[in-house]
Amino acid sequence: MNAAGFASLLQGAALTVMLSLIGIVAGVPLGLALALVRWARIPLLSQVVAVYVSVLRATPLVTLALLIFFALPNIGIPVDPIPAAILTLSLNTAAFNCEIWRAALTDFAKPQIEAAKAAGMTPGLAFRRIVFPQIWRTSLPALVNEMTLLIKGSPAIAVLGAVDITRAAVRIGSETYEPLPPFIAATIIYFAIILVFVRAQRTIESYMTRRFGFA
Amino acid sequence: MALDAKIATEFATATAERPVIEVRGVSKSFGDHAVLCDVSLTVDKGKTICILGPSGSGKSTLLRCLNWLERPDHGDVYLSGQRIGYRVGGHVAMSSSELAAIRARIGMVFQHFNLWPHLTVLGNLIEAPIYVQRRARDTVIADAERLLTKVGLAEKRDVYPARLSGGQKQRVAIARALAMRPEVLLFDEATSALDPELVGEVLAVMKDLANEGMTMVVVTHEMGFAREAADEIVFLDHGRVVEVSDPASFFDRPRSERARQFLQRYERA
Amino acid sequence: MSHEFAVVWAHKDRLLEGLANTIWLSLLATAIALVLGALIAAVLMSRLSVARRAMQWLVDGMRCVPFLLLAYIVYYGLPTFGIRLNNWTAGLCALVLYNAAYLGEILRGAWAGLPSEYTDAAHAFGFQGLLLYRRIILPPVILASVPIIGNQVIQIIKDSAFLTILAVPELTHAASAIQSTYFVPFAAFVAAVALYWVLCRAVELTVGWTERRAEERR
Repeated sequence: MNAAGFASLLQGAALTVMLSLIGIVAGVPLGLALALVRWARIPLLSQVVAVYVSVLRATPLVTLALLIFFALPNIGIPVDPIPAAILTLSLNTAAFNCEIWRAALTDFAKPQIEAAKAAGMTPGLAFRRIVFPQIWRTSLPALVNEMTLLIKGSPAIAVLGAVDITRAAVRIGSETYEPLPPFIAATIIYFAIILVFVRAQRTIESYMTRRFGFA
Repeated sequence: MALDAKIATEFATATAERPVIEVRGVSKSFGDHAVLCDVSLTVDKGKTICILGPSGSGKSTLLRCLNWLERPDHGDVYLSGQRIGYRVGGHVAMSSSELAAIRARIGMVFQHFNLWPHLTVLGNLIEAPIYVQRRARDTVIADAERLLTKVGLAEKRDVYPARLSGGQKQRVAIARALAMRPEVLLFDEATSALDPELVGEVLAVMKDLANEGMTMVVVTHEMGFAREAADEIVFLDHGRVVEVSDPASFFDRPRSERARQFLQRYERA
Repeated sequence: MSHEFAVVWAHKDRLLEGLANTIWLSLLATAIALVLGALIAAVLMSRLSVARRAMQWLVDGMRCVPFLLLAYIVYYGLPTFGIRLNNWTAGLCALVLYNAAYLGEILRGAWAGLPSEYTDAAHAFGFQGLLLYRRIILPPVILASVPIIGNQVIQIIKDSAFLTILAVPELTHAASAIQSTYFVPFAAFVAAVALYWVLCRAVELTVGWTERRAEERR
């Protein structure tokens, strides 16, 4: 594998990371919105969210990607590989993030919310000033763990034809008849990226324990 | 025409000298269990009312009905003549922002302090005045520091609640409620969760407030405090108001049998 | 739309064949990975710090690698060393290797949390080595980890879908084939998603049943 091959690998890696990051940036707040719907027990919508989360958590990324890419045009919404990839990653990670946020919300100490109510805070204000500042800290390790899992699953979008790192490796391998080097290189690149997140998670956990007494 | 007359009467009543809190015929059940039965009481401005009674008599539930943390099944609660929980003249429930506005005028101190752990002591005090009452930050901070000095915790201003003792936390909680400049202060067994040697410092603050003319409704087991600081004792048993009298009469010459039994238990203890 | 589902129903045998493959692949991978994981856990708890640390590195490393790339390396890369596996076997190997690392870590965690009374009594009665491990340590460790192992099984089921890229005829591949032949993408993949959901629910229910049985014995 020569320099050009390595360059296209890096290009693919950049695309993969970018798509994963977009998925993360979209999926974390979306997961929070879904969790809030269930926490506020909005009728009908809560049940819809519960079903959505249950199904999305049981669906493999590859299957979801194929469903979105092939089925949406079928019901009248044309979609390109890149938007389909982003949609797949976002919808999937939002479902897992919903459960993470929900766990933090249900564990949240009710007495604090009572004090906020008694002080005249509306539910919205109480969430913004009292609940959220605390739950984003407690949820952070689990959220970062989910980000790691999303990046590890992102090769699934290779089925969509977007030239991500996996496809680049396959192409190089088939051109040079030496499949192993590009795959090893791709694995090393992924390894490095994921390691960054894993280390970040461990640092966050120990920081939380030291500063706030919990993890 | 009928609506105009109704509004006119409400206005007239509102401008006359009226009690800070008025409870009329409040009843509340949790499932099959009737906790409050037809409770009525009046809290005049500047007075300290102590609600006493055995466990399970409904004292805390009654207190929590005053700021609508519990919603009565029947009856009404009025704050300075304004009906809580329902809009003027109707059966339409208040929106959450209207309810919040009412609660901002009532201060509450909880048994377990309920401080917000992610804010410093000062942060706890200034949070609601700034974000609920939208007062200017500088005046709020100045006010808060004055209150902290008043409860004896000025040097703890930048400390997080986790580092405070129970008595200190409760004093912060009292200052936090006072920072809202409430029309009335509610105390829900404020000293029950404290170690015995810390109870005194909190009761001292409460006594000062009573002497300064703060309108207070106190649910407590501290008979000494009730005897010294209360203007009126309301004795509750099994969800009903059994006796209402001034402290001297209540403690020395209780009129009802149940009050006598209740006081006997405390004398022995 | 309903005519789409009718087409899928007409070819449900293909779909069910894919489902059967997914189930078989997942069960087999779980079983082998559990055995391998038990061995890995033993090394992770060993007193030989060299072996323990080397294995920890391997396990941590495996958890930083995307599964699909591992599958690719096993399938496309091993021939370089003269080992030529068909796609099914390569997929199975990748599933086993990948999840043995995770299961090893899970079992180690549960083992470290075991009270020492278990092993003390066993030592007193003369248990040691493999017998000790097999009869005294493993049973409570596995019982304690059932919910987490259940999560891992769900992960295995979902990872098996990656193997469609290697043309392994599992569920997603079957759905893909049906949709490309008969142009019924929505119905085909919705059916596949529904089946995956049923599989995961089945795992969750089994975990619940096992936990209740475990409670009775406590």
